[in-house]
Amino acid sequence: MSALLAYNGPNPGGLYTDPVGHWVIVVVAMLVLLLVLVTVTAYVVFLERVLIGRFQRRPGPNRVGPYGLLQSAVDGVKLLTKESFMPSGVDRFTYLLAPAIAVLAALLTWSVVPFGIWYGFYNWIANVNIGILVIFAISAMNVYAIMLGGYSSNSKYSLLGGLRSAAQLISYEMALGLSLVPTFIIVGSLRLVDIANYAVHVGPLQLPLLVLTPIGFVIYLLAAVAETNRAPFDLPEAEQELVGGFHTEYSGFKFAMFYLAEYMNIVSVSAVASILFLGGWQGPLLPPVFWFLLKVLLFLFFYIWIRSTLPRLRYDSLMKLGWKLLLPLAIANVIVTALVVVWTG
Amino acid sequence: MISAIFLAAALIALGGAVGIVLFRNPIASVLSLVMVMLALSVLFLLLSAQFIFAVQVIVYAGAVMVLFLFVIALLGPIRELPTRRLPRQGFLAVIVAGGFAVLLVSMLGNLRYHAPANADLSVFGSVQNIAFGLFTTYLYPFELTSLLLLVAAVGAIYLSRERRS
Repeated sequence: MSALLAYNGPNPGGLYTDPVGHWVIVVVAMLVLLLVLVTVTAYVVFLERVLIGRFQRRPGPNRVGPYGLLQSAVDGVKLLTKESFMPSGVDRFTYLLAPAIAVLAALLTWSVVPFGIWYGFYNWIANVNIGILVIFAISAMNVYAIMLGGYSSNSKYSLLGGLRSAAQLISYEMALGLSLVPTFIIVGSLRLVDIANYAVHVGPLQLPLLVLTPIGFVIYLLAAVAETNRAPFDLPEAEQELVGGFHTEYSGFKFAMFYLAEYMNIVSVSAVASILFLGGWQGPLLPPVFWFLLKVLLFLFFYIWIRSTLPRLRYDSLMKLGWKLLLPLAIANVIVTALVVVWTG
Repeated sequence: MISAIFLAAALIALGGAVGIVLFRNPIASVLSLVMVMLALSVLFLLLSAQFIFAVQVIVYAGAVMVLFLFVIALLGPIRELPTRRLPRQGFLAVIVAGGFAVLLVSMLGNLRYHAPANADLSVFGSVQNIAFGLFTTYLYPFELTSLLLLVAAVGAIYLSRERRS
């Protein structure tokens, strides 16, 4: 217990080691995070709608508020006040449990994701030794949200979406996990703060970890798209075949929860990618928080870009890509990196 | 604080274990088993075994139980049918349960718990510590286990392959 909450960063005025002060810090950090995260997620939805609009040569949402900036807020109110409809024959308990698990998993991921705010000043809730394994453990819970939502809805489309999703998530979880092993081997730690602070020195330059782990980076990017059920890997909710996949039978606030969780997961995946490969908040001139936002935005733009550009994969080619290309490549990447690290000491 | 968490996790684990047997709906049974797994992971965390906690959640709750759920959802919502009882089932159940209880008490009754002599709990269950153990003291059992798993995987693929007549 105490090991999990152990803190080894700067400790101004003994605040962190004080039993009451420690909890005050944790609660404040959580509230700040919650507020920032929900706002950011709402604006990611807005950003996606605007960008996809531009990709399709139309203006996108621009009516509500200046430049349409209040669109997400209005949509949120609309979904909250909508009639919460429940189809007949659903498995009531699991039907209601599924969206709750989705939001819980999406929020809990951020318990170990740190971000730099100012020089030497980070916001994190827990800096644990197992670091990123916590994120994997929590994202494994996300499968239950989709599976249970699909199963309990008493609809064939939902069930098919849920089953597809379970198979897809399990297949790509392996590649996702293995793609990061070279990073751990090089840094020698699973703590996200250590990984973000790790810099590769080439002559006078300080380069991000990306230069040493390019293959892991590509595998992570692809597997992360599959893990978040985004196009071109969005088979669990393929509109043309499955209406809406696992969330076909969800409406109103319950649908909003699935939607929130999905976009929050995209933000988490982008934040983790920027920490693992681009050095998180490290960068010249600008303060850390701007660098971090910039890098996260870069990944978000990338995900929106491929969504509006690439067609959806067929199911068998999705599985082939995961098991026959990404997984062997990830394993080879681990072995080669381990050999090189042992060789060069 | 820690004993309160232990008590809650232990009760959830026991309740889940009872639920697995008592529920007629297979999905509810699977969810009870997931609860047991998650409660056990909390117990690992209380023992400062951070890495085992993560692995427990990722492998058991995350992968194995999802496969259970997958198969059950694929087979459809079949409720377990009430079956005929064995002759003298109650009597047999009492004997088996009593025998098991005697066995447990005789095995575990003399155990005395004590904290490890001079272990630093902040490194005790860390990834580095577990890895060190796995690749030095327990290297041969570890490698043999991975070989066993490989054989099992190859066997499963062999058994499920398409047969050409």
